[in-house]
Parts: sequence; structure tokens; C-alpha cells
Amino acid sequence: MDSRGSPRWPADIGPTFLSEEQIQQRVAELGAQVSRDYAGQDLVVIGVLKGVLFFMADLLRAITIPVCVDFLAISRYGAAEQTRGVVRLTKDLNEPIDGRHVLFVEDIIDTGLTTHFIMRTLRQQGPSSLNACVLLNRTRRRLIDVDLAYVGFEIPDYYLVGYGLDFKERYRNLPHLVKYERNRSG
Amino acid sequence: MADDAQTRRRGVFAHPSEEEFARILDFYQIAWEYEPRTFALRWDEHGNVLEAFSPDFYLPEQDMYVELTTMEPRLMTKKHRKLRQLQKLYPDINIKLLNRADFKGLMLKYGLDEDEGLVGPRGQPPKPE
Repeated sequence: MDSRGSPRWPADIGPTFLSEEQIQQRVAELGAQVSRDYAGQDLVVIGVLKGVLFFMADLLRAITIPVCVDFLAISRYGAAEQTRGVVRLTKDLNEPIDGRHVLFVEDIIDTGLTTHFIMRTLRQQGPSSLNACVLLNRTRRRLIDVDLAYVGFEIPDYYLVGYGLDFKERYRNLPHLVKYERNRSG
Repeated sequence: MADDAQTRRRGVFAHPSEEEFARILDFYQIAWEYEPRTFALRWDEHGNVLEAFSPDFYLPEQDMYVELTTMEPRLMTKKHRKLRQLQKLYPDINIKLLNRADFKGLMLKYGLDEDEGLVGPRGQPPKPE
């Protein structure tokens, strides 16, 4: 607790990387750009759970044209034995996208492996067009090139948490983006 | 496409980090080959190869080689020199170096950062010549 009695974030939460204001300003710009580019078109905006949650909510409210919204979820690579198979959808789309314009929205792209899988999966469903929008683009470890129509921020090789991004499912609810520093002394 | 059984073949990989990397590629259904090609870097006056370099992975769909190392940065001088020489002699080759920090970042992302065997306190030893 701090001197005012408010709970404090743990010591491994580092300095702010992007403030709420910086994020909101850029998201508003992206929303305006998407609204211009897709004006008059049948657009389905698709996010992949769970990291995209806050970005998706803010981006959608910054888009000023009518859109349909849907979500996907996929299995993640990890230590658990059950994840040692191959990536698969754990939640499929509810909206049909055949013949429609699709904007895939993601919180962060790192290696490109996840995005590549999702874009390939979406493409197989026959959309009229398919573009990707990402809040954070970290290219240092990029293995698979992915065409990104909309990029919020180019970021260096920091591990970031907050605004939907997690470390072991924690810190998603921070309203801004901070550097996660595991061994940071408190 | 390499099947998952390939990654279970113990002894194929020079280091546990490479086996983990292969598992990640398998998980995301990215085709890969392990050390499929050796590039000559230096020859003697008779044309005998004095120095060569075999990148760890080749991703055929991306036409990209990946060299993965968890060596400490202070031990990387020779590897960097070899990579520079490779790019000079074979400018059309697309190669990506994932260093110790990159791999640790990947492990952090996948929640495997506490597995000391994957990175190790001192990193992997240099490959024998």
C-alpha cells in the first residue's frame, strides 16, 4: 500500500512506455484512417482474444462507419503438455466473412507466427479483402513477414504489459503500457 | 512440413534451445529443415574449404535461414564475423540471427523463461569447427 492507502503495482512493473493519452491519440488516428478507407463498404473487424481486448474496444469506438465485430481465439504455445500439438482455433468466428471486407486487429506482432496462422485461416474463408491492423509492431524477432495496413507504434525489444498485454495472465488491466522488468528490485 | 515426431528425435539438435525452437515452428505449422546446407567461407590456395558455416534452420516457405544462439554476447565475435562473411559471399541468402536476448524474450513470451536448460546461465558453447 502507498501512503494514501491505495494498493501498489508490484515492483516488476517498470516505467511507462506509452501513456493512456499517447495510446488514445494514436488509436483515434487509426480509427479515422480505417473509417476513410472502408467508407461505404461491408467491413467485418476481427480481433484475436485476449490481448486485443482494450485496443479493439477503443479502435471500434474511434471508427465512424458501421462495422460488424467478431472475435477469434487460438491455442497458445507454452509449457503445458496439451499445447505441444499444433496451433488451433479455440473459438471460431460467428460472422461469415465470405465476400466481405475483413480487418484483422491484433495487439502486438512479434515473430509473426500467430498473425501468419490467423491471416492464412481467414484467407481460406474467402473474404473480398483482408488487411491487418496492429497496435504494436516489434520487428526484432520477426520470422514471418506479414503485410500490415495499419500500425500504431513501432516498438523496440521491450517486454510490455498493460492495455491488454500480459505476463502470465497478469497486468492486462493496466490502462497504459509499461515495461515489464522481472528482476527489478522494489 | 516437418512432423512433430521430428522434434522428438533426441540427439538431432546441438542444443535444447534448438529443439524448443523447432517445437515452436511445428506448433505454428511452419515448415523447417535443420542445418540443410553448409556455406563455405574461406578456402586455401588449392580450393580446400578452411572455414564454413551451417545455419541452424531453413524455413523453405519463407526462403530464410535462421541462426539461433544462446551464447553469451562476449563469445559472439567469431559468429558475427562468420555471418558478415556469409552475407558478403552469398548476398542473396536471407538469414536471421536470433541471439541469446532474442531467445530469452521468446521464452518469456511463452512462459518458458524459468527453464534454465533452454538458455542456461552461460549459454550454449560454440559449435566445434
